[in-house]
Amino acid sequence: MVTVTIKVNGETRTASVAPETTLLRLLRENFSLTGTKLGCDVGDCGACTVIVDGKPVNSCLMLAGQVDGRDVLTIEGLATIDRLHPIQKAFEDHASLQCGFCGPGIILSAKALIDENPAPTTQEIRDALGGNLCRCTGYTKMIEAIRVAARTLRDEVADQPA
Amino acid sequence: MKRRGRGMACMWYPIGFTVSANPSAAVVKVNEDGTATLLTGTVETGQGSLTVLAQITAQELGIATDDVHVVSADTDATPMDTGPIASRTTYVTGNAARLAAEKAKEILFEVAAPMLGVKPNQLEARDHKILVKGYPQRNVHIGDVANHARVVMGQPPIGSASFNPATVALDPETGQGKPFGTYVYATQIAEVDVDDETGEVEVIRVVASHDCGTAINPMLVEAQIEGGIAMGIGFALQEEILFDNAGRQINPNLTNYIVPTALDMPEIEVDIVDSHDPTGPFGAKGVGEPTLVPTAAAILNAIHNAVGVRITSLPATAEKVLAAINAKRGQQPKRIAAG
Repeated sequence: MVTVTIKVNGETRTASVAPETTLLRLLRENFSLTGTKLGCDVGDCGACTVIVDGKPVNSCLMLAGQVDGRDVLTIEGLATIDRLHPIQKAFEDHASLQCGFCGPGIILSAKALIDENPAPTTQEIRDALGGNLCRCTGYTKMIEAIRVAARTLRDEVADQPA
Repeated sequence: MKRRGRGMACMWYPIGFTVSANPSAAVVKVNEDGTATLLTGTVETGQGSLTVLAQITAQELGIATDDVHVVSADTDATPMDTGPIASRTTYVTGNAARLAAEKAKEILFEVAAPMLGVKPNQLEARDHKILVKGYPQRNVHIGDVANHARVVMGQPPIGSASFNPATVALDPETGQGKPFGTYVYATQIAEVDVDDETGEVEVIRVVASHDCGTAINPMLVEAQIEGGIAMGIGFALQEEILFDNAGRQINPNLTNYIVPTALDMPEIEVDIVDSHDPTGPFGAKGVGEPTLVPTAAAILNAIHNAVGVRITSLPATAEKVLAAINAKRGQQPKRIAAG
């Protein structure tokens, strides 16, 4: 067994898990954060995407032990009780999700992109979503929502007092 | 080099099959606070069908979509439904929801008529009120009517209805009859780049024009069309289940059963044709499956337009397209280079 301590959505949590445990299973089974989805479990579909130290990763391909001491953001860490995250709000407004299974992964891929590149082009958004499969939507309304969310987030930054 | 081509494909698609029984049922209850509850057996799979059913119910009752509480897909509480299949929900279940709401509304009108001193057929429901046609200032809030109906008249405003598309059996002699409730139509145009050295096809742009009757929710119609086009691109260019000699699938995962990613998606332009079907709820027909029907054909026509080869089996992989281009070159007489 290995003991893993990670900061997940701002909260420090510890679990003792078998060494082959993936980050995905640690999140879902030990921390009950089931917003992160188990799709293919081999890194093809991107449904399990989470953000580790600012970078989007397939949590099914990362061992829990590799994340010890690091900072993880999952879909549960985006919305507050009062409001959806601007990316989530834009997805809702644009009917960007249908069955929704790919949603947590897509939204976190989008967040990692916008955090690094506040004004992404359409091609940069397509590139950032390249590792996330969606069978329902054709991605079109997601790309639209991500452009709108990026603009909202830029405006929020601009509105903040210096 | 890359060669650009355009191709077009048209389709019709049936909505509301009648070969076997195809019913949907619904219950609509108008509550004392002016909201309504819709019971439906259909299952939301993300396409937004419950939103559309709430819109239909709200429109019939003259209330807001948010005021309709939808209880769905629970056989303890809701009528059994034929299912969210065959692009039937808006048409068949939507008709059932509208008819159930209409029955609840008839009770409201009977109750409101003496309250307003008119006959029931002089009333209409809109803006959360039951009002006298032509005299909108003479009105009662729908919630007050619902309360009066239950508490005073002893007649709670609850309607239930079912809809089963009318069947006309096919004549064995002529083949004529009515196998479906209604039909939808669409045309899609695809623009592609074909690399004549590698056979690789890239879809640049798809323009999709669909007649789905009156679009109850145009944004959701667009979403259906865009999703259908993505599936159509996979069908045309990428997706193939491969079997070995023993019949075992050799690509049973997403590593080698390739579905379109965001990088494979073209620019999509959606055009919703202005249309109204008198047999559908508020003129609506359906949109789900038809969105994918013409896409592959349009893409293959565009490949032909670009490089002059007909691909007759799907998917049109780069290997297949290149082989066809090479075969066509082989048939042409060799030109002797000048100089």
